Amino acid sequence: MYNFIEIEFLKLKRSKIFLLTLLGAIFPSFLLFLSSEFGEFTETISMETFLSQVNMYMSLIFVVLLFTIIMSYLFGREYNEHTLKTMLTAPTSRKMFLLSKYAMFLIWILIISMVTTLSAVVFGFMAGTTAFSITVVTDSFMQILLSNMLLFLAFTPLVFVTLKITNLVPAMIGGAALTFTNMIISSSKYGIYFPYSIPYLIASGEILEYTTNCTVSYIIIIATFLIGLTLSYTYFTRNDIPI
Amino acid sequence: MTEYVIETENLTKKYKDKTVVNNINMKVEKGKIYGLLGKNGAGKTTTMRMLLNMAAKTSGKIILFGNIPNNNTYRKIGSIIETPGFYENLTAEENLKIISKIRGNYSKEKIREILSTVSLNDNNKKYGDFSLGMKQRLGIAAAIMHKPELLILDEPINGLDPIGIKKIRHLLKRLSRENSTTILISSHILSEIENIADIIGVMDNGQLITELTKEELNTQLNKRVIFEVSDPKKSGRVLERIGLQKDSDYKIKEPDTIYLYSNMDLRDRINEIFVKNDIKVKGIIPCEENLEEYFTRIINQETELAA
Repeated sequence: MYNFIEIEFLKLKRSKIFLLTLLGAIFPSFLLFLSSEFGEFTETISMETFLSQVNMYMSLIFVVLLFTIIMSYLFGREYNEHTLKTMLTAPTSRKMFLLSKYAMFLIWILIISMVTTLSAVVFGFMAGTTAFSITVVTDSFMQILLSNMLLFLAFTPLVFVTLKITNLVPAMIGGAALTFTNMIISSSKYGIYFPYSIPYLIASGEILEYTTNCTVSYIIIIATFLIGLTLSYTYFTRNDIPI
Repeated sequence: MTEYVIETENLTKKYKDKTVVNNINMKVEKGKIYGLLGKNGAGKTTTMRMLLNMAAKTSGKIILFGNIPNNNTYRKIGSIIETPGFYENLTAEENLKIISKIRGNYSKEKIREILSTVSLNDNNKKYGDFSLGMKQRLGIAAAIMHKPELLILDEPINGLDPIGIKKIRHLLKRLSRENSTTILISSHILSEIENIADIIGVMDNGQLITELTKEELNTQLNKRVIFEVSDPKKSGRVLERIGLQKDSDYKIKEPDTIYLYSNMDLRDRINEIFVKNDIKVKGIIPCEENLEEYFTRIINQETELAA
C-alpha cells in the first residue's frame, strides 16, 4: 500500500489542483480575517471563537465543494487522461488501485484539515484575537478532522457517481448543489438526517441540541459509506476499462 | 511440440444485443509476430482488450502462456491499446517511474536506457506538451521497458513519422528475433503488417475470417500478367482457341487490357501468338496483389457471402 500512496503523490507533482485545494482550505480563514478588518466584529473575539467560525464555514459551506473537486480529480483523471488502461495493464489489481485512491483521498483530507487549522491560527493572530492556547488549537483541529473524516465516509456514493460519469463538470455542479442543500438543511430539524450536514453537527457537538436520538445520524453516515463503497467497488472491479 | 503464447477458444464479446467479437479461435506461436488486420469496428481492439483483461469476455476461453491468466501472467505482457495514456503534468521519465514502481522494478538507469531507445532522452517536456509521435514512442517505451514475453500492440505506429516507423519496426523485429518476444500487432498501415508479421489474421464483423502465414499469403495473392493489346476481344478469342477460358483464365479489364491468370510462364509464347494474329502488344506486365488488394478482396468476398 505504501508503494501505491507514493505513486499517488508522484502523480500530483506540478498539479495545480493540489495547490488550488490548499488555497481553498485557507479561504474561510482569509474571509473571516477580512471581515474583522472591515469591522464586522464589534468587539475583540477570542481565538476559540475565530477557529470555531472557520470550522463552521469550512464544514458547512466550503468543504463539500472542495471534496468534490479533490474526488473528481483523483478518481476522474484516470479516465479523462486515459491513464487507467496504462495503470491496470501494468498490471495492478483493481481492488488495490481503488483502495489506494480512497487512501489518497483520506490523506489529502488530512492535509486540508491541517492547512485549515494552521491558516486559521495565522489569520486569527492577524485579526487580533485573544486567549490563544495550544489546547484551543488542538481541539479545533480535532473538530475539523473529525468532521472531514465523517464527510469522507459520506462521500463514497459520490465516488461511485464520479466513476460512472468521470467528468469534472457534473461533479462540480453536484458539489455546488450539495453545498446549497447543506446551507439550507443544516440549521433545520432535518440536518441530522442529511449525510453532508451530519459530520459538522457531530464534530461541533451541535447534534446534542437536537431532541431526536443522534444514533440515527451515525447509522445514516455508516449506511451511506457502506452503500457507496459497495457500489464503487462493484462498478470498478466488474466493468470494462475504457480506452 | 509447438508452444503457443496466446490461445483463444470461441472467444466472444457481446454488448447488449451486439456481438463485437464472435467465436474467435486464435493461436499465436511463441516468438512469432502475429499481425491482425481488419476494418474499423472489426473487433481487433476488443479482442486485444479481452486478452489484457481490460474487457470481460462474454463467453469462450483465453489461455496465455499455456494457462488460464492470473495477475502474474499480465506481468509478462507489455501493451499499447490505441493512444497511450500518461499523466499530462509529468515528464516521460516521471511517467515511466510510476509504471516501473507499479511493476516493482524501478531503476533510473533502465528508464533512461529505454527512453534513449525510443529517442525520448533528455526531454524535460511534460507529457501534455508532447506531439502525437512522442506520445506513441513513450507508449512503446512503457510497453517494452520490463522486457515482456508478449507484446500486444494496437496501432502502435499511429502518428509516427516514416523514420520513427522504421525504427519501431526494427525494434520489434529485434525483440522477436533476439528475445523471442511474441508480438500481436494491429495496424491500419497494411504494408507495415506485411513487412513485420510472420502470421496474418484478418478480422471482419467480429470474426477471424482467415489466418495465414507469410508463405501462405504469397501463394494466395492473386498473380496475373497484364497484356496491353490493340484488340482485346480478338485477343480473347485467340486465347480461347488455345484452350484458355474467359473469367477463370483471363479477363478483359479495360478497353485495351487483358488480365491473364493462368499459364503465366507461357507469356512469351502467348505474345508470339498475338503477334501472329495481327494483334499489337504494347506491354506485358507481370504483377501480383499487394496486401491491401488482398485484404479488400477477401473482405468484399466475406461481405458478398454474408449478403
